[in-house]
Amino acid sequence: MPKFDAVVIGAGNGGLAAACRLALAGKKTLLVEQHNLPGGVASSFRRGRFEFETALHELCEFGSEDNPGGCRLTIVNDYGLDIPWHMVPDNFRVITTASDGKTHIDATLPCGRQAFTDEMERLVPGCRASVEAFFDLGAETLAAGKYMTAAAGKVDSKYMQEHFPNFLRTAAYPVNTVLKKALKMPELARDIMNTYWGYLGVDADHLSFMQYVNMVCLYVNHGAWIPEKTSNQLTTGLLERFRAMGGTAWFNCRAEEILFDEEEHVCGLRTTAGVVETRHIVCNANPTMVYANMVPEHIVPDRERKLAGARRYSARMFVVYMGLNKSAEELGLKDYSYFLPQSADSVKEYESLKRIETNKYNIALCYNVVNPKASPEGTCIVSLTTTYMEDCWGEIDPKDYVKKKNEVASDMIDWFEEKTGIIIRPYIEEFEVATPWTFCHYASVPEGAAYGYELRDWDNMMPRMAMMREEYPVKGLKFCGASSIRGDGFNSAIFSGDTIAKLTISEINAEEAK
Amino acid sequence: MDRKLKVSLIGALDMLKFKNLAPNRRKAIEAAPVKPLPKTIGTNEKAMFMHPRRQLVRIKDKIPNGPDAVTVVLEKAEGGALAPFRAGQYISVSVSAGDTRTTRSYSLCGSPDWAWQGIYHITVKRVEDDGFVSQFIQDEWKIGQEIAVSAPQGHLYYEPIRDEKKVLALAGGSGITPFMGMAYAIRDGYEDFDLTILYGSRKEEDILYRKELDAVAAACDKVHVVHVLSDEPKPGFEKGFITAELIKKYAAGEPYSVFMCGPQAMYTFLDQETAKLGLDHKHVRRELFGMIKDPWNQPDYPAQIRGKAFKVKVILFDQEFNITASADEPLLTAFDRAGIKAPSRCRSGECGWCRSRLLSGQVYVPAVTDGRRGADKDFGYIHPCSSFAMSDLVVEVPGQYQS
Repeated sequence: MPKFDAVVIGAGNGGLAAACRLALAGKKTLLVEQHNLPGGVASSFRRGRFEFETALHELCEFGSEDNPGGCRLTIVNDYGLDIPWHMVPDNFRVITTASDGKTHIDATLPCGRQAFTDEMERLVPGCRASVEAFFDLGAETLAAGKYMTAAAGKVDSKYMQEHFPNFLRTAAYPVNTVLKKALKMPELARDIMNTYWGYLGVDADHLSFMQYVNMVCLYVNHGAWIPEKTSNQLTTGLLERFRAMGGTAWFNCRAEEILFDEEEHVCGLRTTAGVVETRHIVCNANPTMVYANMVPEHIVPDRERKLAGARRYSARMFVVYMGLNKSAEELGLKDYSYFLPQSADSVKEYESLKRIETNKYNIALCYNVVNPKASPEGTCIVSLTTTYMEDCWGEIDPKDYVKKKNEVASDMIDWFEEKTGIIIRPYIEEFEVATPWTFCHYASVPEGAAYGYELRDWDNMMPRMAMMREEYPVKGLKFCGASSIRGDGFNSAIFSGDTIAKLTISEINAEEAK
Repeated sequence: MDRKLKVSLIGALDMLKFKNLAPNRRKAIEAAPVKPLPKTIGTNEKAMFMHPRRQLVRIKDKIPNGPDAVTVVLEKAEGGALAPFRAGQYISVSVSAGDTRTTRSYSLCGSPDWAWQGIYHITVKRVEDDGFVSQFIQDEWKIGQEIAVSAPQGHLYYEPIRDEKKVLALAGGSGITPFMGMAYAIRDGYEDFDLTILYGSRKEEDILYRKELDAVAAACDKVHVVHVLSDEPKPGFEKGFITAELIKKYAAGEPYSVFMCGPQAMYTFLDQETAKLGLDHKHVRRELFGMIKDPWNQPDYPAQIRGKAFKVKVILFDQEFNITASADEPLLTAFDRAGIKAPSRCRSGECGWCRSRLLSGQVYVPAVTDGRRGADKDFGYIHPCSSFAMSDLVVEVPGQYQS
């Protein structure tokens, strides 16, 4: 029977990072993936002359060689990934109606703190001080986060109070409370600053300020980045690095049952390619599904049943992919990302995302604006993404499925054309739609919720991270990916895989030392 | 960090609130009721029904169709509905004979409505150059026998958001099959577009689905069938090949999309004809190209490899196979002959199901069937169904599991 120091289940961003970190530490590691290629949602597919990015809008926390973010430090500096990247010049363009229900917002925010702040002041005169305070607080938050991560659960509260007092005052609050009460940010400025909430899938009344300010600052400071040849280049690239570091990867191989010894410690994994022996499993899959179907009932602690029942799944994805037979310039597509909510009021908008009939929000991307090689000359790729905050696609009858997905896609195209004034429909040469069912199919995520569990209220990133060491009580079994300690986002998934692998490595080392 | 920053207090107990984040989460979890974990999730079950990894079907009937084709009626072995499809899609069927195991893709030529009753139709024309498969299916497949088929897949279907309302379907020989499915779909209310089929056959007697096509066209004013005979002039039939002129005639001045399905030689011919009409990529869609049997006729073929044989080491999980592959055949054919359980579906370079890793050596991939992802090419991945050995090779293939 083949024997491994660790087995990673699932080759999504988190699983690949975990596998790379384990291999880098010299641990004999097996990566099993039920599909025939790596990436999970981080992949690509071909249609006609086009290759479509499946999921990535922009990689956060990457940065340049001179100003690297944590994600670059991990996958490039540590794992040795060497692929070409493109930086996204602007953070976003948002076109919507302000919270007051009247004011039209059409704002394009550049990367870089100074430029971003200047543009905010131009758009909302008088908001400069609050925006400056937002970024100062963001810097303090990043520093506090760095300190706490390094302290790995052993935080000196005196040091914290001395160095991160503003962080401590605000970290426990939701975004809107901090922006309103602590930073006194004008409403219109808040409307624009809150644009990114959709990337975390929780409205600004329930989204942790700490997590949000962290993300915004990382985007503004480091810019946003995309690989030249889609996410498949990132994930297949990481897989190649894993193999180069001595790792073994089995594809079209499904993990079926986690095996335990008499001490209720992981001792192996049964897969469709046979049983392998291991004491450590890092699972890049949804814990609720894994505990329900792959772990014997008597092993699953009641805590996990309680936690699973108390959580809600987060954003269920819906994406329209279009290959257009005109160039971005010809069509007038000047911006990379267009955020097009009905309202800048995220609480109202979140409610509307619960139903198919009320959901109008979409985020449009044109990859060619950043990467001229994204598709053949004279063409471009546009994708439209929305998310559902409830399992409304679970109610669809398979008989109505094609009709329903096309209706939604068609409405999203209309919405994009109406809000931006850019006509795309007559130029659609290739067309594909991914619904929550598609994400169930390709990523095996519950209800198509690629974002994992909602990062809402008590279950936000902050306490999840703080409880990292007690989060996975089954001995030898840990989880990474979007439904793990840091929530959704490519960088968060990568970070979770890397961090969980480090915990696993220290356990393996401790066992070896015995 | 700006040392001067001092944000206002939000509440008197801000610091405590921060300290309590983890304890509060602990409490929230502790206070939650113990609920049984859901074994299944409705949405995921539906997704699995739409996209099963494999389906087991029983051969219900074999119906002769034209002089040399048989329509095989497949019924879901365990009863109930088969995965639904969009008219024009195909399934990949598994065929085993002796040590050889292989797959072939066949268009679903029945109505999408029948899938809900657990029925698929495929039509297999006896051809000499597809290995042994079409003859084997016609002669050896027995009624009542069970076989494994894939989920429906493929992209030759009508897409209202993309295509013109009028579709000119150009069919050659058994290339009629996806359009038969589309004709039924229009008749049965699954699709809504205007379908004009220009169907090329050698002689009148070679026409497949003659009766069915005429019946659907008579019953449904959105389906029109024009027979084009290359080898015999007959009144009431168009004569010759499907040309630009003929396409123009039946387009009748309206905007239209062209869908085509037929042998490789027909595609080569029709590419020139559609070019004459100034049709762009958006308006021309083609069915799978099929495995290339004469790579030496491809414009980019490296002629020096013709007729050569190479050693190929194939790695599958912890197994190794040492086989021989001719430069004249796709690698997948050599895998099949050796009985290697490598996955495959479209066999045209497109679907990526056989995506494998080339560890050493060189292969020739014809441009016309190179469906690889951009980064895959850089990282040395190949689709063995559209790759030809140019040297000795080491290839790692993925396994396949069947749920």
